[in-house]
Amino acid sequence: MALSGGVDRGSHSMDKSITLPPDEIFRNLENAKRFAIDIGGSLTKLAYYSTVQHKVAKVRSFDHSTKVSVQETDGDPLYEISVQEEITARLHFIKFENAYIETCLDFIKDHLVNTETKVIKATGGGAHKFKDLIEKKLKLKVDKEDEMTCLIKGCNFVLKNIPHEAFVYAKHADSEFRFQHTHPDIFPYLLINIGSGVSIVKVEAEDKFERIGGSSIGGGTFWGLGALLTKTKRFDELLQLASKGQHTNVDMLVKDIYGGAYGSLGLTGDLIASSFGKSATTDKEFSKEDMAKSLLHMISNDIGQLACLYAKLHNLTRVYFGGFFIRGHPVTMHTITYSINFFTKGEVQALFLRHEGYLGAIGAFLKGAEEDNPNQYSWGENYAGSSGLMSVSPELNPVQRARSGTFDMLEMDRLERQLVNLPLLQDPTSYIPDTVDLTEDVLAREYWLYCFEEALDGVVKRAIASQKDQPKAVERAEKFRQKYRHKLQTLRHQPLLSRRRMTWP
Amino acid sequence: MALCGVADTGSHSMDKSITLPPDEIFRNLENAKRFAIDIGGSLTKLAYYSTVQHKVAKVRSFDHSAKVSLQETDGDPLYEISVQEEITARLHFIKFENAYIETCLDFIKDHLVNTETKVIKATGGGAHKFKDLIEKKLKLKVDKEDEMTCLIKGCNFVLKNIPHEAFVYAKHADSEFRFQHTHPDIFPYLLINIGSGVSIVKVEAEDKFERIGGSSIGGGTFWGLGALLTKTKRFDELLQLASKGQHTNVDMLVKDIYGGAYGSLGLTGDLIASSFGKSATTDKEFSKEDMAKSLLHMISNDIGQLACLYAKLHNLTRVYFGGFFIRGHPVTMHTITYSINFFTKGEVQALFLRHEGYLGAIGAFLKGAEEDNPNQYSWGENYAGSSGLMSVSPELNPIQRARSGTFPFDMLEMDRLERQLVNLPLLQDATSYIPDTVDLTEDALAREYWLYCFEEALDGVVKRAIASQKDQPEAVERAEKFRQKYRHKLQTLRHQPFAYGSLTVRSLLDTREHCLNEFNFPDPYSKIKQKENDMALKYYLKVVKSVEELSWEQRQFNLVKGLLAGNVFDWGAKAVSDVLESDPEFGFEQAKQQLQERPWLVDAYNQWIERLKGPPHKCALFFVDNSGIDIILGVFPFIRELLIRGTEVVLASNSGPALNDVTNSELQILTERIAAMDPVIHAALKEDRLALVQNGSSSPCLDLSRLDKVLATVVRERGTDLVIIEGMGRAIHTNYYAMLSCESLKLAVIKNSWLADRLGGKIFSVVFKYEVPSKAQGQH
Repeated sequence: MALSGGVDRGSHSMDKSITLPPDEIFRNLENAKRFAIDIGGSLTKLAYYSTVQHKVAKVRSFDHSTKVSVQETDGDPLYEISVQEEITARLHFIKFENAYIETCLDFIKDHLVNTETKVIKATGGGAHKFKDLIEKKLKLKVDKEDEMTCLIKGCNFVLKNIPHEAFVYAKHADSEFRFQHTHPDIFPYLLINIGSGVSIVKVEAEDKFERIGGSSIGGGTFWGLGALLTKTKRFDELLQLASKGQHTNVDMLVKDIYGGAYGSLGLTGDLIASSFGKSATTDKEFSKEDMAKSLLHMISNDIGQLACLYAKLHNLTRVYFGGFFIRGHPVTMHTITYSINFFTKGEVQALFLRHEGYLGAIGAFLKGAEEDNPNQYSWGENYAGSSGLMSVSPELNPVQRARSGTFDMLEMDRLERQLVNLPLLQDPTSYIPDTVDLTEDVLAREYWLYCFEEALDGVVKRAIASQKDQPKAVERAEKFRQKYRHKLQTLRHQPLLSRRRMTWP
Repeated sequence: MALCGVADTGSHSMDKSITLPPDEIFRNLENAKRFAIDIGGSLTKLAYYSTVQHKVAKVRSFDHSAKVSLQETDGDPLYEISVQEEITARLHFIKFENAYIETCLDFIKDHLVNTETKVIKATGGGAHKFKDLIEKKLKLKVDKEDEMTCLIKGCNFVLKNIPHEAFVYAKHADSEFRFQHTHPDIFPYLLINIGSGVSIVKVEAEDKFERIGGSSIGGGTFWGLGALLTKTKRFDELLQLASKGQHTNVDMLVKDIYGGAYGSLGLTGDLIASSFGKSATTDKEFSKEDMAKSLLHMISNDIGQLACLYAKLHNLTRVYFGGFFIRGHPVTMHTITYSINFFTKGEVQALFLRHEGYLGAIGAFLKGAEEDNPNQYSWGENYAGSSGLMSVSPELNPIQRARSGTFPFDMLEMDRLERQLVNLPLLQDATSYIPDTVDLTEDALAREYWLYCFEEALDGVVKRAIASQKDQPEAVERAEKFRQKYRHKLQTLRHQPFAYGSLTVRSLLDTREHCLNEFNFPDPYSKIKQKENDMALKYYLKVVKSVEELSWEQRQFNLVKGLLAGNVFDWGAKAVSDVLESDPEFGFEQAKQQLQERPWLVDAYNQWIERLKGPPHKCALFFVDNSGIDIILGVFPFIRELLIRGTEVVLASNSGPALNDVTNSELQILTERIAAMDPVIHAALKEDRLALVQNGSSSPCLDLSRLDKVLATVVRERGTDLVIIEGMGRAIHTNYYAMLSCESLKLAVIKNSWLADRLGGKIFSVVFKYEVPSKAQGQH
């Protein structure tokens, strides 16, 4: 019983009269061709396909055919260098709060040049609600796609194309995020989507998936029961309450019943015997924090147990978690991880996805782009245009959000060549290209960040020197310096929240 | 995560100055030997073992050795009847609210005579809390036993020993409770104990179980969250709130998100997508009832899904539910059943137990009684002393309880049976065998009739009981007490037909026998049987001779007719007892004339004759019915012919008395006397071609799944290939549809006009059912 979908969670009342920074968001909109939109309970994810003009340096050999011998070429350069324009394909994904949807649609309308686009693929629980608005604003026909199909399509895409997409969460480890190396064969896997309810989906192949189970005890239950118990109406505030609470004040533990462990059954004293068991018989008031924490444990443990049972029953070891209950919330990632460890005794790991929030939009986009065979190509994340993991956590930090604007981006470049494993690898499954993982090695990280910052001046100089004939090169090189330095600073301050495995060199 | 145990759930403040009715509760306390106690969150379950003195009627052959010939014994009664005291073992289980624990302990202390008892076994979450009180009051050492072990031990015990222990709950069916017939092998099974938390236990053998899972979302969660949400502090009141609520006001359904079903995922629109999902985004107030209902669904569905997953993972199909969340609450039984159906698409059924509340106490008791080897014996529920399902639901009806001012308790009594009971090895499929032909819990019309019928017959039974003990003046008083008790049981059954499992004609008859025994009327028909046997014996040789003169074909028909005519003499059936009381000269020949002419109501006589023209059977097992004319002039001439044909015969008769049925000890004497007259019988006995065995029962009906172990052995050893079942009780009320793996003959005369009508015949219609298992079935 229950579902993946985020539902209408009521939009936050935000100041809508903001000005969008066109250089930073909706990049290349003028070349945008294909659109897809995934409207969830609070966030909208827009996807489009564009072509990008790049300058590329080309080398060409001089025509030596008229010359007789090698000696005679002395003094001439070996080959010719020219800078050319090249057009490549790029996928853009932008995530913003539903509150901004009208502003964004207006912006898109104003900047959209391409008039061939007739249709926008839409998915998510909110697609229905905003259908008319989208059709009116963009003059595009909204074409609804099945939510679960999009989710799975998107999931397959990121697992295949983004190295280090999946990670394990470990609250107390040196590095909270341990990224998993991409397995050459991503199937089969289990996807536990925790939206309002929970959907448990077994994915066996690109187009073969089945919802094998679900539960009505999901994010909506945490939110709904939490709101009733604590009078706190916001999901993120409930999570904040929970992170401060003590569940043992509300839950009945094994030791509360038996005075200690129940050894013969292998139950430790601290195990929760009955969620909210203490409130059944005690007349005292319980703190909001404690109740929220107890509720969080109850729901996370329940989902964890169900996930394990379904994984066992279907013989699956890769279990990915997604949905708004999980999305960017260390608190829920932690409790889910704990629960999975408890129930499988470590046999199954809870895996999370860096781009989990984009899955629906990616999937919807792919549905619309099937004629372009996007699955035929290899794609690479464009680090320069992607925001990275937890760059924006609108749910978590409302204050910061109001100040900075709330956009998160992912860009994927279509690679010229299709990339595969070297057939000579002894074990592609366990192959890790990088020698040192800087997310885990603090000293090495310090050194290399310093080293790259030190080297930046030299790189800028070299860049300018390479384009002496172009007066604007100095300005562009300065922009490069700023952007790269900003990235380095981000990585210095949030090495553990970094968007990918940081590696040397 | 989570547990079976009910923790301290706070005792209700009850008036403790009540007086206990000593005749009704803590029966036989003066003989109590071994004690066990299971103290749960709100209820205490006490168990003890006692010995009960019964009066039993014994028959003993007079010493005829000094006499020279049969003729000289003329005028003497055939055998001697004496009433003796017999001591049998009984297990007593009493359940009462924790509030009364002190009163009860005082009462026990005052009545406890036996001083050998030193220890009381204790289990349950509350055992710890009341330890000092118990030790102080009873001067017994409290010996704690593991809760889960006790629970499982108790569960195994009731599943093995109480037929119809398990039932399926169906709220909207004609009968809410559908009782399951006992499976010969109870293992493996899954027990889902829903106390404060949930424990999921896989039981593989008597002493092999494992807690394979659990959940912290259990009864305590319903109670705790329910209390926080509704400010209602009592568990039963929360359930009452829930039963009145609408969960759709609080839960987010699939259609609330998608406007209808989510077809591609197979989710209907009414499915709960998110429990309490509506309260996340709606600012309105929710009613207590709606929230309680939503909570109940959330918890029941969750447990249901976990149960199904564990059942699948461990390949188990029998899933029993227990614990205070379930106990006697139709609301939770319904939601759990619904959830299990939903998740397994009907593959797994949620099973509940009639005596679920006693499991811990039974188990703790058994732990303490291991030296007595209680598992070695078969046990039977004493209907006279047991309260029956849902007799008291302290949790459900506090108002009624408070008003009545009586001490609310519930009892279960189990009698140790003399014989160990097993399946008849010749059952085609022991798993699916159901002894009773009509389930009166499901057939309301039939129930009405039979309850009326038994109430009508009660006066006659009371009269007969008094007459059987003319020499004892207080018999009248006892008989009156019997009348009251049995009438009360009938009234209870009228309102709660499910009280003792499936209500059947057999259970009504058995309950009457239990109540008669209870008031020391062990065998009201003993003298009548004696007189009848005496009279019939005088005609034996005459009947045998007259049959011998007939041609083979005529003889076979005459023997069958004799068997049927003999069966007309049945004091158990009202129509016959009317005739017999008014006209004791009603003779054998008259009975033959009363019989329906062929074709009979069910008439397989031609097939039977064809079969007799073939080779003789190896061995025939004959379940006999009445004393007197039936056994002597009907059965014996018939089996005499079988013996002459070369077929061995095993006569199976009741171990204890029931109505005018011939008992094994009576049959021993009768057979000796017949052997003395008839060389065929004499030789057969001598050569062991004729054997007498007891069936292990004291019922006028027959349960082929609970037969004396010796009988089963004899049947197997002799290669029995024909089973004959005679009489209404054994061949119509029970076993009419029983499938056997060998040839069988079921014959009876319908001596009840209502039943005859139902079967499409008239009174004294004849059923002659001859069945041969098909080859394919026989091979299984």
